[in-house]
Amino acid sequence: MPDGSFSHPQQRSFNPYTENGGTILAIAGADFTVIAGDTRQSEGYSIQTRYAPKVFRLTDRAVLAVNGFAADGNMFVKKVKQRLEWYRHAHAKDMPLRAIARLIQTMLYAQRFFPYYVYNILGGIEEDGTGAVYSFDPVGSYEREACRAAGAAQSLVQPFLDNQIYFKNQQAAPGQSHPLHLPLSDVLSIVIDSFTSATERHIEVGDGLEMYVVLAKGRSAQGLEGGRGVQELTTRTDGDRVFVIRRELKKD
Amino acid sequence: MTSFYSGPGFDFSNTVRNNFLQDRGLPLPKATSTGTTIVGCIYKDGVVLGADTRATEGPIVADKNCEKIHYITESIRCCGAGTAADTEFTTALISSNMEMHALSTGRKPRVVTAMTMLKQMLFRYQGHVGAALVLGGVDVTGPHLFTIAPHGSTDKLPYVTMGSGSLAAMAVFEAGWKPDMTREEALELVVAAISAGIFNDLGSGSNVDACVITANKTEMLRNFVRPNERVTKERSYGFRRGTTAWKKEQIRSLIVSEEVVKHGEAMDVS
Amino acid sequence: MFLTRSEYDRGVNTFSPEGRLFQVEYAIEAIKLGSTTVGVCTPEGVVLAVEKRVQSPLLEASSIEKIMEIDSHLGCAMSGLIADARTMIDHARVTSQNHAFTYDEKIKVESVTQAVCDLALRFGESVHDEDAMMSRPFGVALLIAGVDEKGPQLFHTDPSGTFVRYDAKAVGSGSEAAQSELQDKWHKQMTLKEAHILTLRVLKQVMEEKLDQHNVQLAQVTSDKGFEILDEVRLKALIDDM
Repeated sequence: MPDGSFSHPQQRSFNPYTENGGTILAIAGADFTVIAGDTRQSEGYSIQTRYAPKVFRLTDRAVLAVNGFAADGNMFVKKVKQRLEWYRHAHAKDMPLRAIARLIQTMLYAQRFFPYYVYNILGGIEEDGTGAVYSFDPVGSYEREACRAAGAAQSLVQPFLDNQIYFKNQQAAPGQSHPLHLPLSDVLSIVIDSFTSATERHIEVGDGLEMYVVLAKGRSAQGLEGGRGVQELTTRTDGDRVFVIRRELKKD
Repeated sequence: MTSFYSGPGFDFSNTVRNNFLQDRGLPLPKATSTGTTIVGCIYKDGVVLGADTRATEGPIVADKNCEKIHYITESIRCCGAGTAADTEFTTALISSNMEMHALSTGRKPRVVTAMTMLKQMLFRYQGHVGAALVLGGVDVTGPHLFTIAPHGSTDKLPYVTMGSGSLAAMAVFEAGWKPDMTREEALELVVAAISAGIFNDLGSGSNVDACVITANKTEMLRNFVRPNERVTKERSYGFRRGTTAWKKEQIRSLIVSEEVVKHGEAMDVS
Repeated sequence: MFLTRSEYDRGVNTFSPEGRLFQVEYAIEAIKLGSTTVGVCTPEGVVLAVEKRVQSPLLEASSIEKIMEIDSHLGCAMSGLIADARTMIDHARVTSQNHAFTYDEKIKVESVTQAVCDLALRFGESVHDEDAMMSRPFGVALLIAGVDEKGPQLFHTDPSGTFVRYDAKAVGSGSEAAQSELQDKWHKQMTLKEAHILTLRVLKQVMEEKLDQHNVQLAQVTSDKGFEILDEVRLKALIDDM
């Protein structure tokens, strides 16, 4: 009985975490990577905002998608960006992708017993010019992969990606084999379809879609430059390039 | 000696077992809930009911175009929110009983009758029948609109909302409702209220169903507005014949051949 | 001159009216008493060489350690107060391991040099609650050699915390003569083998004793094999080739 007396045992609790919905995914190509996320932010049955970005450009070759508890996600991205700037000052270069991946692991594990309640997907271009995706759990376990979905609709999207990117459960035509990497246009189509489908069947996914495309140095940007809803975010010439493509999703 | 006597009302014999299983970490199967927006509104000549068409199972959309406006009688309809099975079963049961009542009395049944039957049933089940209802219709005494909460309490108001989108919808009513509206004004307001639920409540979505009930006519406007058509996919996902791997092939004939031999005299059927 | 100094050369953190920190300058002087240390940078890698002063025939020459490994791609040669260098190299090693742990990559030669120099100026009176600090400047100069994404590099640090990159550098007692010899003989397309010979020749010129495999130490950092100290067998072969 919480009557203010100490004759009964009392317990109070406070849960600092909440789940803000949404979904993110990333797919690596041979010399490009696509990192995408919807822009709805929700709590329970309410929409907090229809435009809260979950995908962030870190450098000209690295993009980070963050999903889970939005407050933790935003703070985490802020701190990663700060570390990248310190690194730039200390070592006079942009941090390479695999170094960012390792940095994120150490930053997440540093909070092992009060974790950032977020799933991270890091995408971009490696030092050798290949497209790469790194996925993390909230306490820093990570792995390089060709594709990964996370968030509210992970259970809807990941099997679709397994089938369409890894060709799981698909037998190749006789005498033929499945391609190791898909062209950019196919990957973008698969990303859009992933999100329109997730929007159809998951209540926390919708409103807007942001797709970041990182192109390896020297790769043609044909079909991207001047496209509908395409914006370039690259800061330096003659390096890797970053683009963002924005699309609408259903709002119900 | 085992007793086969079964008392009236609920059978609670499984509750001890189910509580035990829950304690051991086996959750009860989750019922489909129509996390919903349903509304009703009285106007000059009758009642307008409205509902969205989304059914959910947790965060997953189970049905994108379900019907939440249920038939009670020709001029009484009931919108259901809460546990889908409960709303469907309860309204069907009361609909049946209302027809029986009409037959035995020889009169058109009244909205209050349906309301009373519903609240008595829901109260009897102490909230375990999870139905939150908006009941509307026109009878000999004029248009009526009620809400019935899962425990059996009722309200009688000129405009009502229920379900997870009730606040969004009520906001629209509070801003736009006025007495003695025309059919068009009332229908427009109901559509706006349901739309508010569809777009601002994650438990509601897809299309607007409406139902306009007057003394001599009931119009069920199924999918009256469809603001959320499915967008076309970027790619087609047809699979080449032979995509699925198989380990062995076995072909069996399903044709059974049978020889009929005549035996003895044919039966006299003359 | 000494009269003016006497006022200001006691405190390690007191500038003289002319704007000088005498204790730091004295520390730099201390290095000139150290044994000669030479570093040469080539496109193939960096070579470090030091003179070991074997003062007694009873002294075990192999126990004199003036070239140390910082990381698999980084080496360091020293001149001056060798004991002081241990603190600095410890710091360099920790910095390098920390970098590899945090970023999954090898630290750049310049970055590790910067880290060492940050330490060089942390002397003076320690503030309350601070970890134990050096009470005086380090009396040692380091030649830090390494290979990173920018190729083979050689850095020189002194007690003032200044660091400069060199193609070839000599420090210690014979540094003046050695440096001018390096200036004459060093060229851009030098092979690693030529660098080995050059460093030995330079040392030979400035050493009082006759150079042999016991009284010099030679190390190299290459992109293939990283840091390695040449053993006496390889050293003797090189000396024979001189």
